[in-house]
Amino acid sequence: MNKIISAKNLVKTFEGDRVIALNGVNLEVSEGEFIAIMGPSGCGKSTLLHVLGGLESPTSGEVMVDGVDLCKVKKLDSFRARKIGFIFQLHNLIPVLTAQENVQMPMFELKLSSKERNEKAKKLLRLVGLEDRMDFVPPKLSGGQRQKIAIARALSNDPRILLVDEPTGNLDSASGHEIIQIFERLNKDGRTIVLVTHDKDIAEHASIIYHMKDGQILEK
Amino acid sequence: MRFSTLIFKNILRRKTRSAFTVLGISIGIATIIALGAVMNGMTVSMEGMLKSGKADFSVAQSGISDLSFSRVSENRTNEILELDGVKNTAAALIGFYSVGDNPYVITWGVEKEDFPMLSINIINGSAFSQEHELLIGAVASKEWNKTVGDKLVLKELEFNITGIFESGSIYQDKGVILSLKKLQEIQNQEGYVTIIYVELEEEANIEEVCQRVEEEFPDLVTIKSVAELGKVDKGLELMDAATLAISFLAVIIGGIGVTNTIMMSVYERTREMGVLRAIGWTKKRILIMILGESILLCLFSVLIGSLLGFLGTELLMLQPIIGGLLEPLYTVDTFVRAFVVAFAVGLIGGMYPAYRASKLSPSEALRYE
Repeated sequence: MNKIISAKNLVKTFEGDRVIALNGVNLEVSEGEFIAIMGPSGCGKSTLLHVLGGLESPTSGEVMVDGVDLCKVKKLDSFRARKIGFIFQLHNLIPVLTAQENVQMPMFELKLSSKERNEKAKKLLRLVGLEDRMDFVPPKLSGGQRQKIAIARALSNDPRILLVDEPTGNLDSASGHEIIQIFERLNKDGRTIVLVTHDKDIAEHASIIYHMKDGQILEK
Repeated sequence: MRFSTLIFKNILRRKTRSAFTVLGISIGIATIIALGAVMNGMTVSMEGMLKSGKADFSVAQSGISDLSFSRVSENRTNEILELDGVKNTAAALIGFYSVGDNPYVITWGVEKEDFPMLSINIINGSAFSQEHELLIGAVASKEWNKTVGDKLVLKELEFNITGIFESGSIYQDKGVILSLKKLQEIQNQEGYVTIIYVELEEEANIEEVCQRVEEEFPDLVTIKSVAELGKVDKGLELMDAATLAISFLAVIIGGIGVTNTIMMSVYERTREMGVLRAIGWTKKRILIMILGESILLCLFSVLIGSLLGFLGTELLMLQPIIGGLLEPLYTVDTFVRAFVVAFAVGLIGGMYPAYRASKLSPSEALRYE
């Protein structure tokens, strides 16, 4: 299968060279794969996800995503808008917007009419099982439902890659299970998923699990 | 959902904070509206005094700071009439006296032969023919509920109302007219007038005649238009300067208030900004959103401030001491000025927070706690 993500000797340091978050990471992800990256807090999982998604530039090394060398891309915003769907532990939905309006947020960067945005948001909320909560604002929804909105939001630009950071960290086990089922379904539909977690039960749903420690990937 | 809806909903997140910010700016806007309306009213009133009827220009004492201080020899009326190009002249003495509850009623001392030139039309009754007779303006007649045949006490003297007049100037129509001689006697100003109105021959050049008047009579100054009001009245210039200063202060104080409000909002939403950047929003879109919130807050302030300004001015006008003397005039210019000030406050106040928000590194914003 095509390698959709390829990272070579990734190094990322902060505060000069005093904090080494990534210390020579090599990673290859094939198109349609569902991988999990496990490791303790502070091992560099989230930083790796940020570098892979173009939120952060590596200090050194190479990172290719869907054939694009991220170190050479000038407009990373538009790259993220077209290629990547991000899901975070803290979803940061806008509390005054309804579920449907929150899902539309990434679509402002696409040339869609207001009506098209509405239709697409409805479709995505149906996909995550929230068709009956479209007009609810986040404070009126449970943690699991909010995370589903965040997933629908991440899917709104039809990204081929989903980068997921501790998606069930704030959820009870039943909600967490529902969320992971959605990721499995999305993976079956052909999306590549890179999931970062420290929860072994969640990681086991992935086809490959990587372990990270001190900024390095130790084993597969 | 439209992008504008998002901006609107964002400012409703902290309703109390937004409301207080809007209120703060609204007070500045209200002041601009009120001062503007009062100043416009004063300008029109002054214009009514300076450009009466068929007069092409008026003449007052030079070097004065307020028209009511003008003291011109009555003889100048005939001397100016003898100049080339002058068709007619009319003199008026102006005073302010209390009538009933109204402490400042403009009182004109004019000869009735000058009524046609000053476009004073008697719509009811007739002109005064004796000392203790006077005319009242149509507006004054309604406000005081007085008509022909009624009595009016002016400076402890009782006058018979013989007629009601209209001049087309609300300032005049709120006042009374009595004979020049009688008003000179009341004011102890025999032989003096406040202002002389000059009507020119058709072919006369107004600039040349004005120049000649000022050359022949150095103690006099000519006023051709409202733009020259400053020659005889510094009050309006001062008020205009005050309005500008208040507008400037409103921009600074309002701008600081808006900056503070929007900056707090940006800090509170730092992680959210990080998520928006992560999902593909450009720096420009973040900038527009934050600037939009700032400008929208200020546009709400224009609406509320205009309403407050209008209500405040009307409340002030209920006071006889102010309402009797002034008629506020709400012009489009005043509201445009308020709008421009509010827009500037929104733009300047929102610029820094918007810049900060747009410059946030998405990764750092996501780590922000």
